[in-house]
Amino acid sequence: MSKFTSEAVDKYAKDLLFELSKEENTMVLNEFEIIEKNMEQIMKLPNLKETEPMTHPIELEMTLLRLDEVKDELSVEEVLSNTEHKTMENIIVPKVVE
Amino acid sequence: MKSIILDAQKKEKNALLEECKKNILENQAQCNSCVTIIEDATTKKETSSLLSNIPYVLKDNFSTKGIETTASSNTLKNYIPPYDATVYDRLNQTGAILLAKTVMDEFGMGGTGTTGHTGTVKNPWNLECIAGGSSAGSAAAVASGAVPFAIGSDTGDSVRKPAAYCGIVGYKPTYGLISRYGLIPFASSLDHVGILTKYVQDAAIVANEIKGIDSHDMTSWDSSQIELPSQLEKDISGKKLFYIKEIVDIENYQNPTEELRIILNQFQEVLKSLQELGAVVESKSISKDLLETLPSVYTCISSAEATSNLSNLTGIIYGPRGEGKTIEEIIVNHRTNGFSPLIKRRLIIGSYVLQKENQEKYFENAQRVRNQIVTIMHSFFKEYDACILPCAASIAPKIANANDEMKQDFAVLENHMVIGNFGGFPSITIPSSIVSNMPIGINLTAEQKEDEKLLNIACKLEEKLNFKGGL
Repeated sequence: MSKFTSEAVDKYAKDLLFELSKEENTMVLNEFEIIEKNMEQIMKLPNLKETEPMTHPIELEMTLLRLDEVKDELSVEEVLSNTEHKTMENIIVPKVVE
Repeated sequence: MKSIILDAQKKEKNALLEECKKNILENQAQCNSCVTIIEDATTKKETSSLLSNIPYVLKDNFSTKGIETTASSNTLKNYIPPYDATVYDRLNQTGAILLAKTVMDEFGMGGTGTTGHTGTVKNPWNLECIAGGSSAGSAAAVASGAVPFAIGSDTGDSVRKPAAYCGIVGYKPTYGLISRYGLIPFASSLDHVGILTKYVQDAAIVANEIKGIDSHDMTSWDSSQIELPSQLEKDISGKKLFYIKEIVDIENYQNPTEELRIILNQFQEVLKSLQELGAVVESKSISKDLLETLPSVYTCISSAEATSNLSNLTGIIYGPRGEGKTIEEIIVNHRTNGFSPLIKRRLIIGSYVLQKENQEKYFENAQRVRNQIVTIMHSFFKEYDACILPCAASIAPKIANANDEMKQDFAVLENHMVIGNFGGFPSITIPSSIVSNMPIGINLTAEQKEDEKLLNIACKLEEKLNFKGGL
């Protein structure tokens, strides 16, 4: 039995910093039902435990560490160019410590 | 060999630009392909590149300095990147002219072209049908003949499926052949840059101009020995191809539609064409149980990676700022109002499968299945030059019926192209014939780094099929 309940869905949404409507919650549950069913099937596949999880499709060539040099640097002005909420070189947010 | 790009090179550059500008405005009015149109685009100084002064469109998840880049999401509305994606930079160096940023499924997480924040993209073949996704606008723009080529991205089949639905070529090269620096990420181990054109030769020309190692992308590799257009005309007699019989056997589908029967019959006709070219085609088998897990494996892996990649979207530094009295309230408001329901679903599933207690059962097992499928494909490629399969179980669905909910009917045929992403294999779709007045396509996939061979087979098959359904 899946632990993926309506309450759990809301909790995950809260952890991910967004809220869900009731319809959105139901859609997640429905989709997960199919995944859960397929996962049960996956666990029956032969040699699963002996197979390494694949995290990446191709051997990486660029493995050397680069020198710790500054390059292609963005200016503070460029970095802050997408917000109106700024002062000097800082972004304005609500006071954190009361 | 046909080429829109080489034909366009014969035209006077100002006339070509004006023609494409007019075309893209017409396409926008008809299909809604564009998020942003660069109306003041001008001709450039000639370069030695075949793309010099060739107009094109770019999917809206590639960063373009000074030009709004939204990934078709409200969370990035009005975001103007301070830097260029490598792909855009390289195209600028060739002298190609950017005409528009195209509509996509939000962050690439969809296959319909209906979830972008500026609305649904319509298929130029039939405006009641989807263009497919997520590179929907790029596919619709090329299919309507507005521009000679478009750039897209492909995480599951997001270049190849819309190409098939729109009757054009969609090419996803080997993982890392083209740098992804500046491409807004969806699922990093699966994301590829892709190219949409009308003909295989054009896809080879464009990929050849933008490929190459990039110090900004550690997954890119040195491809200086690869010359993609060089082998297009080679005879393919003696080449060995395979198809996966569990995917194309009608007996494997419960309640097959008449359309599915026609598509699978047409596939057999394509195999005959290949044999007439002297190629050998054989069937290979992959366990049905394994193939049926493809959609869930893809959803687990891509959602988990997306959960991490999209965590930087807070509305604090860029994107529309949410309302609230605390930082947390601001972020929650931004993400709640900014993400569409589809994105929220994906992120929740991603978060769930990454929980400590679930990781092994879901995420790691999905990665294990990925390994099993890729290992089987590598073993087949030791004996065969390429895999050939139909692209989908249907023509482009009607907009009213399209959604991204997971379905189990025909799931294997609808989702098998993710194998190309699982293994980083080069993979291409070319249009093959017309069914119910809509185009269908054929998918070819080869071993990693054998892009030249793949394009050769695709080009010769394209020539043989002589698809005449161009709009």
